[in-house]
Parts: sequence; C-alpha cells; structure tokens
Amino acid sequence: MADLVDLEFDLDNILPDPARPVASRDPELDEIAKGYAELAAPIPTASRVSGPKMISVRNLTKQYTPEYAALDKVNVEIEAGEFVFIVGHSGSGKSTFIRSLLREVTPTSGQIVVAGHDLSKLRNTKIPYLRRNIGCVFQDFKLLPNKTAFENVAFALQVIGKSKHVINTQVPEVLRLVGLEDKIDSYPSELSGGEQQRVSIARAFVNRPPLLLCDEPTGNLDPQTSLGIMKLLDRINKTGTTILIATHDREMVNSMRRRVIALEGGHIARDQARGVYGYVD
Amino acid sequence: MSINPLYLLGEATTSFRRNWIMSLGAIITIFLSLLLVGVSIYSGAVVNSLVEDVESKVSIQVFILDDAPSQDIEVLQRQLQSNPLVSTVSFTTKDEALEKFKETMEQSPEVIANIEGNPLPASLDVELNNAQDIELVVEEIKASDAFMRIADRPDDPSRSLNYGQETVRRLFAFTNVLRYIGIAFVAMLALVSLIFINNTIRLAIYARRAEIGIMRLVGASNWFIRAPFILEGVFQALIGALLAIATLFAFHVWGLPRIQQAISFMAISVPNAIMWQIAALLTLGGILIGIIGSWIAMRKYLKV
Repeated sequence: MADLVDLEFDLDNILPDPARPVASRDPELDEIAKGYAELAAPIPTASRVSGPKMISVRNLTKQYTPEYAALDKVNVEIEAGEFVFIVGHSGSGKSTFIRSLLREVTPTSGQIVVAGHDLSKLRNTKIPYLRRNIGCVFQDFKLLPNKTAFENVAFALQVIGKSKHVINTQVPEVLRLVGLEDKIDSYPSELSGGEQQRVSIARAFVNRPPLLLCDEPTGNLDPQTSLGIMKLLDRINKTGTTILIATHDREMVNSMRRRVIALEGGHIARDQARGVYGYVD
Repeated sequence: MSINPLYLLGEATTSFRRNWIMSLGAIITIFLSLLLVGVSIYSGAVVNSLVEDVESKVSIQVFILDDAPSQDIEVLQRQLQSNPLVSTVSFTTKDEALEKFKETMEQSPEVIANIEGNPLPASLDVELNNAQDIELVVEEIKASDAFMRIADRPDDPSRSLNYGQETVRRLFAFTNVLRYIGIAFVAMLALVSLIFINNTIRLAIYARRAEIGIMRLVGASNWFIRAPFILEGVFQALIGALLAIATLFAFHVWGLPRIQQAISFMAISVPNAIMWQIAALLTLGGILIGIIGSWIAMRKYLKV
C-alpha cells in the first residue's frame, strides 16, 4: 500500500505542473540539481564566436531497411571545445548518430567530417586512426574484468603502440585526474559503478583525444554518482576537449543548460544553445 | 604500423596462460584430430606394406621348350633384364624345376614315384620392380621373337606364360580399392579436423569478443588485434601436432614390433622415412589449420 502512495507522489512529480514549485521535492535531489547548476554554461554575453569544426554532419541519412530511415537528412555542426547533449527517446536515432561518428555504421548518404577525417573517404584500414581521435564512454563501462584499473587504461595505449615509458607516466596521471589514484591496482569487480565509469573515462581520455563521445554515461548510476561523473566530464571539457553526451537524464540536462540537440524519429527536433531536456518520459 | 614482436609474444603467452582451459580444449581437439589423421596415414602405410608384400610374390614364369636354342634363351633373358620394369630374371633348368616340384610334393610320395623321366620344362623366372606392371611385361614377352622360338608350347605361346593371370587381376582390383579407401578416409578426417579446430578457435575468440571490441574501440589496427590470436592459434596447433607426433612415434617404436610378432607370417614394415613425412605433414598441417582457423574465426569480429 505504501508503494502505491509513493507511486502517486512520483507521478505528481513527473507530470509537469507549473503550479507546483520544483523545489518542493526530495531535498537530496535539490542538492544534486544545485550541483548540476554549478556546471551550467555561462550566459553568453556576446554572439558565439564560431571556432574550428570538430564534427560536421551534412544530410546524413541512414536506412537499415529501405522503408525506414533511422536518421533522415540530419545536419549538425559542432565546434571544437563544445559540450553538447543529445537527447531523444529510444529509437530516435541517437545511437545510430553516435555510431556513425565512430564509423561503426556507414551512412546510406550524406557527409560526415570528424576531427578532420572525411568518413565517406576513409578507407577501412584507416578507421583505427580515426578512433584514436575519439574517446568513447558507455553506459556499461566496457572494462576488461581480468585487468586492473591501471591495466585497463594502459590497454588503450598499448594497442596503439605506445612505449612502456609513456604508459607508466600517462596512466597514473589520468587516473589521478579522475580521482582514482588509490584504486590503481583494483579489478573492476572491486570498484563501485561510479568508480568503474571513472576508469572508463580515464581510458577514453588517456590518449588526449580532441573528442569524447559518451553514450548514456550515467545510465547505470545513481544521481549523486552521476553528478560526480558530469563534474569530471566538465573538467575534461575545460581542457578543450569536445564532449558529446547522449543521455536520458532529464535532471542533468535541465540543470546544466548546455547545448541540447533533440532527435525525434531520425530528425533533429531542436538544437538549442542553452537547452533543456524537454521530454516527458 | 609496426608491431613490437616482444609485445606480441607476451600478449600471446599471457592470454594463453589466462585462458588456459580454453587453450587446453583447443590443444586437445587439435591433438586428437591430427592424431586421427596421423593414425590413418600410418595404417595406410601398414596396409601398403602388407599389399606390397603380397604383390612382391607375383612373378612371371616363362616355360621353355626342351630343345630350345640356348642363344634364344639368352636373348630373351638379356632383353628382359634391360627392361627397367624388371628387377631380376633367373633361369631354372629342367632338373632344378624337378627338384622344386619334388620338394613341394614331399607330402605325397606316390606322385613323385609316378613321375617318369622329367616332364617339367625349364623356365625363366621374371620378378618385377612393381607388381602392377605385370601386364606390360607379359605383353613385351609375347611380342618377342625369341620367345616365339623357345616357347614350351609353340602352338599357343601365350600358354607358356604363367603369372596367375586371374588371381593377379583380382588381387590388384582389391589392393587398389584398399588404397582409394585409405585416401578417402584421410581426406575426410582432415576435413573433419579442420572443422573441429576452426570451431574450437572460434569458441576461444568468442569468449574474448569483449576484449576485441574494446581493442577496436580504442583504435587498435586490425593486424594488431589479429596477430596475437593467430599466434596463439599457431601455438595451440603446434603443441597439438607435437603431441600427436609423439604418440605416433611411441606406437611406431613400441607397438608395431609387438604386432609384427603376433602376425609374423606377414611382413609389416613402415619405413622411418614415412614417419618423418607424417611428422612434417602434421606439423605443417597443424600450423596451417591454426592460421586459417583463427583467421576465419577472427573475420567476423574485425568487420567494420
């Protein structure tokens, strides 16, 4: 019975009700919202200066079947150093968009330029070199269970042929950056979800890629931990790294007020500089 | 991009150590498959030596007219000796033929007692290098003028030749079938072991698909991903092949002499040269299977 009451209470919260002030909710959530708000983009004082492009997508169409387009004539320009959220329901084309940037899926038509690589002209053997410019973070962390935090991060450098010396200096450094200097020899099973995601971010960032793609990086984490992860990504963004985050976390998007690209049925529904999540789900 | 060979070797041995149960499975499969191939080649060699033993007992006897001119006999003998298909030609006189007959008929003295004079003809006994060529040599003898002059039965010279015509034909039909079955058996086993080994390697790679996925994600080149797996496949195949070869050699040294003792009436001899050939074949075959198997199994995970 208590559960039912709780559910009603939650429903009230979920349904948009302008009369009800947002602050009347769980005080812990307010704390988190405040935390996100600290990460909010500054209100631009002048019109944005357009810098060099990190991602340039023109008329991108991807059809898995002839009848249905997962992405339909999508146009997106993202400048170097931007921090962008991609939102949308499941099946809206978010994943296809991100996987197109990685050249994991080949577009049916359209042009994609990522970090100076024109993906339509990229030969298959050159794809690994594209991926060295893109760090990837996933909801399920994708860590190797039989390697320690250090080894997991070092793995990313080993496989692109970096020397032992480089590995031994860069890996501890990046693990310190993500706040795991004392967990360096722990196996993923000995780490919490948030810590595992930090290792995964360290692995994505250790090579200092100019672009970081995050596919629902906080999807498996509680709000408090999610905030920590976003603070970390914000810090990385401040080093000049472009960050693109696909997410379902409404709280996060609404509080941080960064650029939001909303996908709906393979189209771009919105692209706002200081956007909000804007969905009820 | 050049791949540091030390890294490669380290990676292959580490993964071998960490996934040793998978590796053990692969090694045992490769070992047993190659052992089966080896055993069937080996038994092929045993059967072959048996067949050769039987075939070597096939010879041609040319019966000679009692008063045949001796230079004609010599002409035929020289002619046959110069034939590359023939190994030896020996002359048996009438007296020797009678001696031999008496020896074989020792058990029935009444037959020997009934012999008047010497009814047996002299003969040239022709032995061949390869029993399969017997018909060719018979044709040559029939075509020879000297043979026509000395044949024991001038009215029908071909009846002066004795080489167990029908028996030889049947024997060869049988031994040929035996050889074809052997070859088919080996080919089938080789195919089966290729499928087995490919499957095992595929399983091992499937178990590590997460690792491969992450390698691709962080931008490892395809060769960089593939090389340790292929090296590991070759390792496994090599160990499997060595085990199979060791088992076969053990049988060759310990087992075969015992069997030979048990059936001493037949000469089984498997030349050591064949053992080395089998060893080389299994090693090369194993390595090739290791490379091809891992390559095919990897392909799916390296698709972009």
